Amino acid sequence: MSLDQRFLGVLGTSPFRIAIAYSIAFACGAAALLLVVDFAVSRVVDGSTDNLIEAEVQGLREQVLVLSRSDFIELIEQRSQDQDVRGAVYLMVDPQLRPVAGNVPAWPKISADEGKWIQFKVAVPYGDEIREHEMRARRFPLPGGYRMLVGHDVQERQDVKSLMMRGLIAAVLLTLLLGLGGGFWMGRRILAQAGAISAVATQIMRGDLSQRLPVREADDELNTLSREINGMLDKIEQLTLGMRTVLDSAAHDLRTPLNRLQATAESAMGQFEVSSPGRRVLERVTSEVDHMRSTLDALLRIALAETGTVAREPVDLSELVNSMVELYAPVGEERGIKIDSEVEAGAQIQGSRQLLAQALANLLDNAIKYTQDGGHIRVQLRNSMGGSEVIVADNGPGIPADKREVVLGRRVRLDEARKFPGSGLGLSLVAAVTKLHGAKLLLEDAEPGLRVSLKF
Amino acid sequence: MNILIVEDDEVARDHLAKALRDVGHMVETAGDGLDGLRRASSGKVDLAIVDRMLPKLDGLALVQSLRATGRKIPVLILSALGDVDDRITGLRAGGDDYLAKPYHMSELLARVDALTRRGEANGGQGDTKLKLADLELDRITRKVTRNGKKIELTAREFQLLEFMMRHSGQVVTRTMLLEGVWDYHFDPQTNVIDVHISRLRQAIDKDFDKPLLHTVRGAGYSLREDE
Repeated sequence: MSLDQRFLGVLGTSPFRIAIAYSIAFACGAAALLLVVDFAVSRVVDGSTDNLIEAEVQGLREQVLVLSRSDFIELIEQRSQDQDVRGAVYLMVDPQLRPVAGNVPAWPKISADEGKWIQFKVAVPYGDEIREHEMRARRFPLPGGYRMLVGHDVQERQDVKSLMMRGLIAAVLLTLLLGLGGGFWMGRRILAQAGAISAVATQIMRGDLSQRLPVREADDELNTLSREINGMLDKIEQLTLGMRTVLDSAAHDLRTPLNRLQATAESAMGQFEVSSPGRRVLERVTSEVDHMRSTLDALLRIALAETGTVAREPVDLSELVNSMVELYAPVGEERGIKIDSEVEAGAQIQGSRQLLAQALANLLDNAIKYTQDGGHIRVQLRNSMGGSEVIVADNGPGIPADKREVVLGRRVRLDEARKFPGSGLGLSLVAAVTKLHGAKLLLEDAEPGLRVSLKF
Repeated sequence: MNILIVEDDEVARDHLAKALRDVGHMVETAGDGLDGLRRASSGKVDLAIVDRMLPKLDGLALVQSLRATGRKIPVLILSALGDVDDRITGLRAGGDDYLAKPYHMSELLARVDALTRRGEANGGQGDTKLKLADLELDRITRKVTRNGKKIELTAREFQLLEFMMRHSGQVVTRTMLLEGVWDYHFDPQTNVIDVHISRLRQAIDKDFDKPLLHTVRGAGYSLREDE
């Protein structure tokens, strides 16, 4: 697997997707929370500032009525001095807008209506440097064309707001980043564990029942699941081994008396003249033993293939098909049947060479058996990225569509086939061997004839 | 030849002993694995026929122990088990040949013959040229001549003839040929081997007076010069 594929693989894992979904949800939540807080704070703080200014404006309006101009100027100067400029701000200007008193250097050039709230910036010394501060104020006229401005420094509030905005963005980004990183990390972990599990599962499917899923120290779901699957595999292995033992003892218990029968018949044969009636009877006995043996062999091989307890090795399928065709071609030629083969090289599979050979032999044997003299058999091996396909097609009578499933079962021989010799287990063995190799067996109409396809 | 039979089935053991004596071998028998191992290790035995499932000591364990002590005598394993893998495990344990029960005595005798004369028979593995009467086979140039006349053979026919020549004078069974030449271990049911043999016979015997490739009834084939 290339790095890119691994990266993309992680992106597709469920933990990564869940983490992304959650971090987006959390980010939205954090944003909403901050916006609500900001809104509430603005309302409270802005409201109280505005009230303060409002009250001051009201107070000054009353004072200007009772105080002389110079006393009023005195009052303004006093108030301006009392307050730091970042607090309350005052400015009184004459009709030409020249400052008369207050702590704001100039009348803001804002063309808003008198009496409306205005916001403007004032340069304020701040230690060594000068900073622009945001002011919020109201203006109102004084007698004699003078005008008055009362306001408040709202820079701090602005600072808090922008700090909150920055905090909000940082929080959202951090949430997303953590979610992404965490998701990626979890995804990789899952992918690694799942990869290990699927690698082992593949080996088990290939018949190596001794394999177990990797289990780590941690007590997470995947480990628990792996442990349970391992328990299941223990059971399957036990059952399979048990089946193998049963098979072995069945084989032993059948082969041993057959062997004795063969031995006894052979010993007895020595006492008869060649081609005497007694000898002929014994020869019948040994030929029946042969028949029983080949049926037993076939049944055992089917059972072995079905339990999946056969050792696997790399098999060159191309070489195997070629060699089987070469083995059977002269048999066909004896009856004028031509076996054409078209075999693509390099088809490699994991499997049992002997069982595959037996399956191919059965197919070729059947094809020759059921094809009339002078017939034609085609053997093909197609090898592509998707796998290999072995096809054996004859132009014999074929198998009717409704009976194709049936012939794969044990000992089924169609009525028309009874005149041919054979155990009737040939196709069952082919089916068991194909299953053992995880391949697909298809019986089709070769128009005319039977077309058997094995897709590996 | 001194042959040891390790087999717990009395009927099979007696029949086997008699058949081997009939063809001129000296026979020793053992009914269990331990006795078998003791006798096999004694040094007086030239070949052992060992059943796979034995009381006291399993047949495979017997062969492994024997090999562990450095005894190199040929061992033929008999088995009443399944097949496919059992054959491989049998040979891996140190067996030289493997035969499943029930077997024909002719099959067993042919295999015993092949095992005892291995190496001494015509053409050990090292020989590049095999010769029988006027038939010659060169393993390097892959040329076959009879009476100086070149004989054209396919690759498989060449292998078949080479196998037969290495076992010349012995009986070679159909299964031995399928195993030795094609490396297949199954019952071909049909007469595949017979057809290949008859083609080989066409090639090497057809134009000559004295046939070399003989059919041995009920057993197999033999490549030999008739007296």
